[in-house]
Formats: sequence, structure tokens, C-alpha cells
Amino acid sequence: MLDRWQQIPSGTRDLLPLEAARVRAAIDGIMREMARWGYREVTTPTLEYLDVLVRGEGTETGDRLFKLIDRGGELLALRPEMTTSVGRLVATRMRGDPLPLRLAYAGQVFRGREAGSGLLREFPQVGCELIGARTLEADAEIVALAVEALRAAVCSPLGEGAPSVGVGDAQPSISLGHVGVLQGILAGLDLPEDEAAAIRSLLYQKDFVGIRDVLDRRHAPTKIVDALLALPTLRGATAIAEARRLVTSPAGQQVLRNLTELGEILDAHGVGDAVTIDLSIIRDFDYYTGIVFEGHTPSLGVPLLGGGRYDRLLERFGASNPATGFALRVERLLAAMPEEEDPWAPDVVVAFAGQGRDEALAYARAMRRRNLTVTVEVLGRPWDEVARDAIARGAGRAVLVRPGTAVVRTAAGAEHLTPMTDLLTGAVQRETP
Amino acid sequence: VSPVTVCVPSGRLLEGAMTALESAGYLTRDGWRSTRRLIVSCTDDAVRCLIAKPVDLLTYVEHGAADLGIAGKDMLLEQGRDVYELVDLGFGFCRGVLAFPVESAAVWERKSPLRIATKYPRIAERYFWSRGRPVEIISMNGTVELAPQVGLADGIVDLVMTGRTLTENSLVEVAELFRSTARLVVNRVSLRSRAGAVTAVVDRVRSAVEQRAVPPSA
Repeated sequence: MLDRWQQIPSGTRDLLPLEAARVRAAIDGIMREMARWGYREVTTPTLEYLDVLVRGEGTETGDRLFKLIDRGGELLALRPEMTTSVGRLVATRMRGDPLPLRLAYAGQVFRGREAGSGLLREFPQVGCELIGARTLEADAEIVALAVEALRAAVCSPLGEGAPSVGVGDAQPSISLGHVGVLQGILAGLDLPEDEAAAIRSLLYQKDFVGIRDVLDRRHAPTKIVDALLALPTLRGATAIAEARRLVTSPAGQQVLRNLTELGEILDAHGVGDAVTIDLSIIRDFDYYTGIVFEGHTPSLGVPLLGGGRYDRLLERFGASNPATGFALRVERLLAAMPEEEDPWAPDVVVAFAGQGRDEALAYARAMRRRNLTVTVEVLGRPWDEVARDAIARGAGRAVLVRPGTAVVRTAAGAEHLTPMTDLLTGAVQRETP
Repeated sequence: VSPVTVCVPSGRLLEGAMTALESAGYLTRDGWRSTRRLIVSCTDDAVRCLIAKPVDLLTYVEHGAADLGIAGKDMLLEQGRDVYELVDLGFGFCRGVLAFPVESAAVWERKSPLRIATKYPRIAERYFWSRGRPVEIISMNGTVELAPQVGLADGIVDLVMTGRTLTENSLVEVAELFRSTARLVVNRVSLRSRAGAVTAVVDRVRSAVEQRAVPPSA
């Protein structure tokens, strides 16, 4: 019989030191890269008013939220993503700040899902938003940053001297599309709004069989039916050329010209080889208004990141502003990478004997100021046991401090006696770059 | 490079799914019948075939454990998974219906709350609430038609092919909720990261079923 106290809720995770270190290294790597592009971190509350989240994401989002009732009876919810919260922040406390705003975030997000779905209900999300710019340059910056963020996460070392985390079978790549291509195709159908909405809904469910049924029933022109059904395969170098034949509206044609130019800017950013034009990218249309993109790697069946342009989100908070951004699933990225040995070991293990405690702790403090990892023996074990255990765990050295002198055992196992003053100054000199 | 994995459902769609893969040239004729293995190798080493329970099939595809799958539309409607539904394969036609015992079918006309036994709790719930009918769904895994006879439920939502099971259990259909045929579905990442290989399978299976000219569900 398994008791509740032995379990955690379905879809949540504990992270052990190595796992937590990998997540931390990936998040830090991404945040540092975003900082180099001028994106400054903001944090928002884990809890938001339900009204804020529904306003940002639409009513159907309410079903997949963790909701709570505040003491006053007000409905609260755990944030399911952070773009809406950042949007609220920009429309309220940051209203009037000079544009463009470049903001980054990292935090836990929560999704209500059925137990047994294999999907996480709490996970870390890292992302960024570029607010106030409608240009292709802004779109390109966000896509290029998405590529660089993935590269940064993949390359962040777990610790000093540890090898970089490498991706198993391939580098992550980005598939880039645009909701305007689809709108261009749909515009040619001249459908009443309810039927257009039905088609968008079917597209969002990726139900191409259903779309064919609806269009056949309407006797839609073959050319348009073919265009819609070809969507899942419109990708790669020829995608734009093919789409040009299928999209007839001037707005749709303009979108395709923009995508071509975007490709050129991405080449100039040095990320062109990591980005594939993919007009089949389907993300929530009510939210995205321009480019949409996903990042993935062949070894994982779910996307690593997703993003795009959402020019209408901020007007729902009374501060109309164009915006573009993406969010990255750190735990999925790590799942796509090979498992590794835990490289962690303390640099120095300190023990003391007799009246050596004060000098031992002063020594530990001095070494930590040198940015070394130092643990102090707290079990009171005999020196030989402490030293053997330390070296076996991979420590750089073990030090037994007595008043005025210290025994140092090196990783090679050799032991020598050193005056404390020499050890402090010597160590300082050795570790100073 | 790992092979492209096609997941096919055991049960009522197995025969049709395997025949479709035979026609597309991925399986030797009847070769798969002699084995009890759940992973069947194909004529092409770059493709393999996985046999899963119908109710689990979309899980394999959604999580990318399989790149493609053959699933009944009933499962797609019930489970609402994040997969691309690309081809209506035409076979495995059946209907999802609401049925009551012949002698008490009139309860459907009244406004009273109903207890409904089904293997499709989400479809059933959506159907009833969209009509403003209060309902209590009893989720079951098999022999749903037994439930009204023993007083477990007022009626059932279940698949029918010929309607014989309904008749034999003194049930009468009062409404059709959906129609189902087998569909070819694809994992959303496989469609991009393994585009060439996956699209090739989609095209070969599509043209194989079109050549057999199975009429699509009308």
C-alpha cells in the first residue's frame, strides 16, 4: 500500500542535484545569451487573477488552469505561461516606457491536465518578448535569438572544467511559418465568418480530413482545396515558391515576400542554416498575428520552443502595441540531450583537530572567496576516513587544520605538513589568475 | 538513423490497417499474421510497424514514440490529441450512436437527467451538454450494452457497425453522434524533423488506399 506522503502529484517533478544543476545551467545559459541581446529579466507573480489570464488567452484557456479562490472570493489561477503576465506588466506599470522593450523571464508555469496524460502540470519556462516593434528586423531578432538561446542552453557547462552538454543526434532547428499564408488561402474562399472559424478550428486541431470534408461540401475551388491540403508539406527551400502559386490575395503575396526577406536577414544573423521555412506551422490563430515558429530536435516528439508575433495581445490590456517573442521548454531540451555523469565534487574538504576550528573555518572562508567549493567535515570522523572519502569523491584536496599547521592530502594521495600561514598565502597565490 | 515507426491498432482496425500497409508495399502479404510480435519489420528497413491497443495508439504518436499511426476517428474525437490527421483511409466505417432500451426509449424525450454508459465519456458529455441535457456519464471499457439491462445506466453511447448488437440487446438508436473511419495521423515534430521519410509513407499509403477506391465515409 502506497501512502500519499510517498508520492508527488501526477505531472510534477522533484529534481535531484544533478538534474537541478542541468536545469539551472541551461536556464542560466539562455538568460545570459538573452542579456547579451539586451533583454532584461522581469519576474511576475506565480498567481494571477483569473480575469487577467482569460483576457490574455481567451476563455477556453480557463479549462486548463489551476484555479484558486482568494479570501474575498476572487478567482485566482496559476499562470499557464508568462507572455500574458508580461503583457499585463507592460500595459500597466511599464506603460509609457520608451520602446522597444526587450524583456526576458524564467519561471515555473502550471497547466491543468488529466493524470496519466504523460504531460507535465508544472514545468520551467524561459522566454523573451520584444515589444513595440512591427518590423521584419524585430521578427528576425526574435527568431535569431531563439536559435542562439537553444545553442547557449546546449553548450552551458555544468560546472568548472566539466564538458559542455552536447545534443545527442543533431542540433536543434527552428521551423518558421506565418499565419498570413493561411489567411491568404482562406481569403480566396470568401467564407462567412462562422465557416472560416470552423476551418480555423479544424486547422488548429490539424484535422486535414475534416477540412477536406467541409470544403468539398461547399464545392470550394479545387485550387484552394489543394492549397490548404498541401499546407502540411510546404516546407524548405521551395516552400515559398510553391506557396506563391497557391496564395492569390495581395496580402498573402506580401506575407510571402516578407518571409523571403526575413530569410535573408536571418542569414545575416548567421542562423540561416538552423531555420527552415515551414508553412504548416499551426499555432493558436487568435493569439498570433504574424510569424509563428517552433524549435525541435529529431530525438524528441514534442517541440522545444514556440513563439511568434502577437500584435493584438496588448490591446486587450488597453495598451495596443506590436510584440513578438518565444518561450522555451527547458526540461524538454534536457530530455533531448544525453545523460551524463555527475561532474560535481568539492575543490577542498576541510577537517580540524584540537583547537584548530577557528583557523579551519577562516581557511574555508578564504577559499570560498577564491570561488572554490569547500565543505567542512561535520560528522567528526577520524582524519584518515575524511581524507579517503574526500579523494574518492573526487575532491581536489583534503586539509586537516591544527593550530598553526595543516596536513594536506592531494588528489594523488600524497600528504604533507604545511604551516597555516603558508597554506593561506600559498593557496591565494596559486588560485590567483 | 532509427526507422520511421508506423503504429497500427490491434482489434477491429488491424486487418484494414495491415492491408493498407501491404498495398503500400511496406508489408509482405500476410507476413504479419504468422507472428505474435508487437514490432513487425517491414520490407523496407527504414520503416517498422508497431502494434498497440487502439486506446493507446494516439499516445504513441503524440509523444513521438511512433512517427505515424492509423487510428479510428472515434479515438481522435474522444482523445483530442495533438497530432496531424492527414488521410481518411476509408476502411473501418462505423457510427457512434445514442441508444436506449426499446421499452424505455421515451426517457430521451423527457427533460429528466440521464445516466449514460460509454467508452466515449468526453464525446458523450459534449453531446449532452451542447443540447442542454444534464447527464451523468459512466465510463466503461467494454460490453457497454449490458449496462441498461442491469440498471447501471439509462442508455449508452457506443459504436455500431451493423446495429446487430443493439437489436440483440433490445436497444434502439435515437441519435447519431459521429461517424468514424480509419485515419492516418502523424506526429507534429516527425512531420518536420523527418519530413522526407514521413511524407513518403503518407503519400504511398494515401495512393494505395485511393487506388483500392474504397469509397470515403459519405
